[in-house]
Amino acid sequence: MFKLPEPLAEQWSYRELLMRMTSRDLVLRYKQTVMGFGWAVFMPLVNTAIFSVIFTRVTTVDVGVAYPVYAFSGLVIWNFFASSLRFAVNSLTSNPSLVTKVYFPREIFPFSAVLVSLVDLAVALLVLGAVMAWYHVGIGWSIVALPLVILAAVMFTAAAALVVSMANLFYRDVKYLFEIVIAVWMFATSVVYPVGRVGGRLGAALALNPMTPLVEAFRDVVINQRFPGTEFMVMATVSAIFLAGAWAAFHAAEFDFAENL
Amino acid sequence: MGHISLRGVWKKYYRGERHDSLRDLVPALAARALGRQKRDALGKQEFWALRDISLDVKPGEAVGIIGPNGAGKSTLLKLLTRILRPTRGEIEIQGRVGALIEVAAGFHPDLTGRENVYLQGAVMGMTRAEISRKFDAIVDFAGVPEFIDTPVKRYSSGMNARLGFAVAAHMDPDVLLIDEVLSVGDVGFQEKCVARMREMIARGVPLAFVSHNLTAVVDLCTRAILIDHGVVRAEGNPAEVVSEFRRGRRADNAPTGDGPIQITDVRLLQADGEVSPLFQTGKAMTIQVHYQARQPVERPHVAIDIHTADGTYCAGINTRMDNCSLGTLEGSGHVDLVTPRLSLLPGCYSISAGILDPQGLRPLDLHARAYPFTVVSTRRDFGFVYLEHEWRHTATDPAVAAARDAADEECAV
Repeated sequence: MFKLPEPLAEQWSYRELLMRMTSRDLVLRYKQTVMGFGWAVFMPLVNTAIFSVIFTRVTTVDVGVAYPVYAFSGLVIWNFFASSLRFAVNSLTSNPSLVTKVYFPREIFPFSAVLVSLVDLAVALLVLGAVMAWYHVGIGWSIVALPLVILAAVMFTAAAALVVSMANLFYRDVKYLFEIVIAVWMFATSVVYPVGRVGGRLGAALALNPMTPLVEAFRDVVINQRFPGTEFMVMATVSAIFLAGAWAAFHAAEFDFAENL
Repeated sequence: MGHISLRGVWKKYYRGERHDSLRDLVPALAARALGRQKRDALGKQEFWALRDISLDVKPGEAVGIIGPNGAGKSTLLKLLTRILRPTRGEIEIQGRVGALIEVAAGFHPDLTGRENVYLQGAVMGMTRAEISRKFDAIVDFAGVPEFIDTPVKRYSSGMNARLGFAVAAHMDPDVLLIDEVLSVGDVGFQEKCVARMREMIARGVPLAFVSHNLTAVVDLCTRAILIDHGVVRAEGNPAEVVSEFRRGRRADNAPTGDGPIQITDVRLLQADGEVSPLFQTGKAMTIQVHYQARQPVERPHVAIDIHTADGTYCAGINTRMDNCSLGTLEGSGHVDLVTPRLSLLPGCYSISAGILDPQGLRPLDLHARAYPFTVVSTRRDFGFVYLEHEWRHTATDPAVAAARDAADEECAV
């Protein structure tokens, strides 16, 4: 009989807990905040407004589509990545009693951070639809590839979430470092402007950023009516390998968590 | 049915803080790269929390794990719950593990009792269907049906613990691990918990029970092990292991014997003057502190403390606070503390005796918790202290009062 690798089998047997932890965080946000899911779209909308002013009034950049649609679509998928990691980085250290007193697969913490953000992404996608309708941007057949793009985004984000949550547990500097890295990373990715325009050595370095093919693939299938290309396929494959590696590393280190908290 | 089996388990710990900041990473990596850290070797900052522990718990067995604080009991339990991994050796646990440890760890204060039951159930590995099926029984067991849709931040800590325990008690484990849960909630709830534990033992669920409550260990367990400084010092019949533990404590606290005066013995005497470790509630008890003075000691004070076996401080008495002067102690003799009616309820206690300087600050000699004794009684009051009491009833309704006047109710105890 085919047997799942141990971490996967364990995760499967604790699937109820993953769902519970995710819904716990969603329910808590609803109970504790007035805006609830509004926060999922508020930040990207504000950022879209800011960058629309900069890139349409101060200077202009040709993105082939109404700039707010370009920026908002980029920010929506970027925000999924960034907010997943923002939740994940503290997920182990902010649950000390669970980590040190009870056994269950600790992957649940970073994974539920990703799932919470995935729900936010779903809400943000509805708003993106409204923004596209407002600017008369239609969708095409390419939208059927959206689940594939989101799957790749989830794999890459989950892998990064495992790494940052684990790293922050061992070295508390990570959460500060994380804020800097994520801020720089956004401008190194085609979120609010196409980084492909950057030339020279910097441009060559930026071309290695795995988030750019992801954000562009997302834009392609949603607003450009194009199917994702080879760059995306490479990125998706790399994400899968990254996830497998990060998961194995996390699983191996799991038993040291209780001693380091 | 599951079982627990440990084969030569060792666990290494780090003293003090480990590198928590990036600036410590570089030296740590360098040390690792140079291969100085071997798995079995002890570094400067390391010590063995457990050494070569082997233990089998088979179906139908309940094993009590006792030992002084810091002996390694909690580490052992954490290894069993898979929170920690042994440095060496093997641990095999078959079946679903139910751990009555931190039973409310998964609770979130802002969620309702109902939401928390589902969350905690999932933390313990139960499925939604299973929790739904047992939900009413859980709420009933915890005794909080009217508050189940209230956020648990409005619960008292007792209600919180009860609800957590109720979830844990309903998970039908194949192996049960317990850490000191008998201190949860009020007496009524504790009895329910003990009944539940007995029920599981009777069903044949192997049980490992870590406790300071020596009475409960003797009462519930089929076997006990005594751990001290990370090694098993005794194993076998719970009553024998418990008394071994008590003897060991006394030896640990042997007087240093370099002061001007020494406590040579503390004898506990029953009403008839017989030395015995067994006393009755309401009967006389005499505590004799025998001393040997190397040189005359002027106006020292004698202090007696009584603790329960699990460490609750019950009474502290000393001659200084009682304004009782002993004069100068020379040669040998004994100071007696007589309590005509012992007001402790049944349980296991231990006595500490000390001789202090005239200011009552510095101990000249001290035997801490070195003298155990047991109190028995037919009384069934709860708690530690027996309050002399009587009950009276007064009816204020004139008609009823007149009728009752003839047979005035009073029951003195």
